[in-house]
Amino acid sequence: MAELNETIHQTVRLRIMAALVTLAPNEEVEFTYLRDLLEVTDGNLGAHLRKLEEAGYINLNKAFVERKPRTYICATTDGRKVFSEHVAALEAILKSK
Amino acid sequence: MDISPTEAEEALAAIQTMMQKTRRSISSSGAYKFLILWGVIWMLGFLGSQFLPKEIASYVWIGLDILGGILSMVIGVRLNRGVRSSAPTTSGKRIGFFWLLLFFYCVAAIGIAWPVDGKQFAMFIILFVTVGWIAMGLLLSFASVWWGLALLGLSLVSYFLLEDYFYLIMAFVGGGGMIALGIYVRNRW
Repeated sequence: MAELNETIHQTVRLRIMAALVTLAPNEEVEFTYLRDLLEVTDGNLGAHLRKLEEAGYINLNKAFVERKPRTYICATTDGRKVFSEHVAALEAILKSK
Repeated sequence: MDISPTEAEEALAAIQTMMQKTRRSISSSGAYKFLILWGVIWMLGFLGSQFLPKEIASYVWIGLDILGGILSMVIGVRLNRGVRSSAPTTSGKRIGFFWLLLFFYCVAAIGIAWPVDGKQFAMFIILFVTVGWIAMGLLLSFASVWWGLALLGLSLVSYFLLEDYFYLIMAFVGGGGMIALGIYVRNRW
């Protein structure tokens, strides 16, 4: 049976992962785009991204676009797997109600 | 880790909302604008073909196509830069070359066959556009293949069986359909 994941379950991290797994596996989202999508501050988003990166659920890629530094974020294969297991666990809790 | 069913329900709702918001954000970044733009161009162009003298209608089409090309470029350049693909350069270039090649095929086919009237001319362009649309659907988003096939089927039926209403059907069902699909993508996708 799928288990809940404590790292992912935190509200902001849950929404970050939901946004990232919506993208195609070969796509990544820019930091400010994700920040606006989630309606959080730079510092708040940065802290949660670090947690997810440490857990190996996301990758942060730094690049220069038109000479400006940009950070792109994507869910890893492991992150996608853990997220779908977390969703399955949530659905199981609802069904057992 | 234990949570109540109510918390699970709230978490699932938050996930659903975020996924929908992300999809909308990506789709509203510009792709739907192409559909609305070319829907309006089809509608105006075919209405011109129906109601204006042949020569004036040709100039209207040329003007609309140039305008459509310029606006498509502007939309393309301003398309969402917040999301990028790890393999965009190659596939983007290949898609660009595909449309360029299709455009030359279309011009060559028209030059060789030399359609005798406006309906044949329009049908040639529709055939090439719908083939391109279906090919893009097969490569990028399979759901849009059905819309392309529907437009192709409608165009052929109108051309062969409803000749007198061909331009009007293309204006309202073809052009109007593209506008409706664009609005649907914008609001509901």
